[in-house]
Amino acid sequence: MHASPYPVSPRTDLRTAFFWIALGACIVFASWQMDRFEQQGASLYTAPGLWPGIIGLLLAVLGGVLAWRSFERARETDWTAAEPDDTVLVPASRFRLATAMFFTYALLLVGRGLPFWLGTAVFVTAFVYTFRRADRVAEGTPVQTRKDAVLAIICGISTAVIVSQVFEKLFYVRLP
Amino acid sequence: MFDGLIAFGHSLGSFLDPLSLGLILLSSLAGVIIGALPGLTATMGVALMTTLTIKMPSNQALLVLICTYVGAIYGGSRSAILLNIPGTPASAASCLDGHALAKQGLAGRAMGIATSGSVLGTLIGMFFLALFTPILGGLALKFGAFEFFWLAVFGVVIAGTLTGGDPLKGWIAGLIGIFSAAVGQEAIYAFDRFSFGSRDLAGGFNLVPALVGAFGFAELLVAVREKSFPVKINPFDSVIPKLKDVTAHWRTIVRSGLIGTFIGILPGVGEDVAAWSSYAAAKRASKEPEKFGKGSIDGLMAAETGDNACVPGAIIPVLTLGIPGSAPAAVLMAAMLIHGVRPGPMIMIESPTFVYDVVAMMMYATLGILLYGLTLTNLLIKVLMVPKPVILPIIFVLCVVGSFAISQRLFDVWVMLGFGVVGFIIRRLDYPVAPLVLGMVLGDLMEKGLRRGLVLSDGSLEPFFTRPISAVLWVTIVVVVVLKIPAVQRHFARRKLARAA
Repeated sequence: MHASPYPVSPRTDLRTAFFWIALGACIVFASWQMDRFEQQGASLYTAPGLWPGIIGLLLAVLGGVLAWRSFERARETDWTAAEPDDTVLVPASRFRLATAMFFTYALLLVGRGLPFWLGTAVFVTAFVYTFRRADRVAEGTPVQTRKDAVLAIICGISTAVIVSQVFEKLFYVRLP
Repeated sequence: MFDGLIAFGHSLGSFLDPLSLGLILLSSLAGVIIGALPGLTATMGVALMTTLTIKMPSNQALLVLICTYVGAIYGGSRSAILLNIPGTPASAASCLDGHALAKQGLAGRAMGIATSGSVLGTLIGMFFLALFTPILGGLALKFGAFEFFWLAVFGVVIAGTLTGGDPLKGWIAGLIGIFSAAVGQEAIYAFDRFSFGSRDLAGGFNLVPALVGAFGFAELLVAVREKSFPVKINPFDSVIPKLKDVTAHWRTIVRSGLIGTFIGILPGVGEDVAAWSSYAAAKRASKEPEKFGKGSIDGLMAAETGDNACVPGAIIPVLTLGIPGSAPAAVLMAAMLIHGVRPGPMIMIESPTFVYDVVAMMMYATLGILLYGLTLTNLLIKVLMVPKPVILPIIFVLCVVGSFAISQRLFDVWVMLGFGVVGFIIRRLDYPVAPLVLGMVLGDLMEKGLRRGLVLSDGSLEPFFTRPISAVLWVTIVVVVVLKIPAVQRHFARRKLARAA
């Protein structure tokens, strides 16, 4: 299970705690503002805002407990203690690029007029080529532009064709 | 008794057609591969398969999902043994002794032990699934709105307590899941809550795209963020399980099977806790506890039997109470609802043979993992060698298309992306995701239980606390929560120390 119960620093926990308190308070406020249908003779316990209000309140309370615990932990150690181990992570720029590619595909290449198979082929090819190359650079092995490009194109086209055919012909799903 | 056997035999026979057998082979294989690939979990596999099987007849769709589930929990042991990387969280305990055996050149024997443990574990769990479900189903008929409210709360509290290292964060994650289930029109007045004028949001979050996001996309983001290391696999011996390994460790198998099944029955706890608990129990009972972590056959057998026995165990509360026993079982329950099966206390009355259909599906899934356990080693090694940049975009395409396929609307793709980002962020902040899922699945049941209960009691909270089953449930919840308060834990630790002195 967990090697350490607190691999996140007290400072990060405190910030998150404030977020939960704020979110909980917003939920309680919005729930309170909801129609209670009193003009229809409804009671408080059937009000639509009752349940989310309770959840918001509990969230704010637990956020408060997390904030209090963060102060306790910071007093015992310090605010930056127990940060996650960044040595196992790839550079943030690489992560940002991958995330941007995921979002570009899901938000711009799918359902915006471009044929699904084409958007998928472009996305998979670009992703495989970019990150195969990045892996080679990171490992210190020679970059093989042609080999990686061929692999990427094969992956892109085969994924696009197989996914389109399986969903459209086998599952009768109209693709975006 | 004989009625049950006859129904089981009938269910077994109903899947003996070429299409069903083909689906068993394909979905077990898909499950084993998903489980073996580090970063892809059983929950993600079942969620993705739910989207793929949406147009299938319900029995075939559920057959595919159960085979994927069982296959993925088993498949995780392969990467645990060969790479020292658990393919799924359930296989983390198998790394300790499985990889130690591999380093001694006994990876084949370790894989054989994993196969025999997983097969026997699933069979033990399956036996209790067939035995307990009708009994618990009868008991569950006594449950009313009050009891279902507490049971759902119990599920989220237990999942929050046991699935991560930090119960407070587990409970917060559970609340976020419950809140997300409250978005959209509520049941009594059809009042739009938190929809901000959006017609899509007024319908609430579709469960499957949300689960594909929280487990599929979030896990992809985690995999992208983490460095990949070159895969190096040493030569190994035969993977055929040895009868001696089974007979010499039968006590461990039975004990771990029982522990795994029991933990499966506990709402929302899941396979990883089952594996660790079985491992710890085996270590306590062993005459050679010092060998644990250094290549103990007992340890590996316990972990593998425990996690696979948990799978049928986790389905017991799904069928009897409509409360999932683990995160993959939560997705399975969502799939049952999509396919028109209403899991819960009425299932033994409305469709009594369905329980035996599930047991039969489990039996075929067990045969599937046995087959692949004996034959698939080289193919799996090739799959493990496939570089991450090739697998990740393909999985993402499936996440997008699968989310879209449920209702054929782009909004579900955005839901998947949103829940993926939330799932990734809370993972990075050390919040467990299983309670979030349980909250999403059980939030509706909780709210209905509370509001129906209040209507029935005319606004009085008394029946929530005084009805016998409700009382047992709320007292258990309070005890679980109080025991996790640091001051209480310190008090008990001091008393233990004082008694020892």
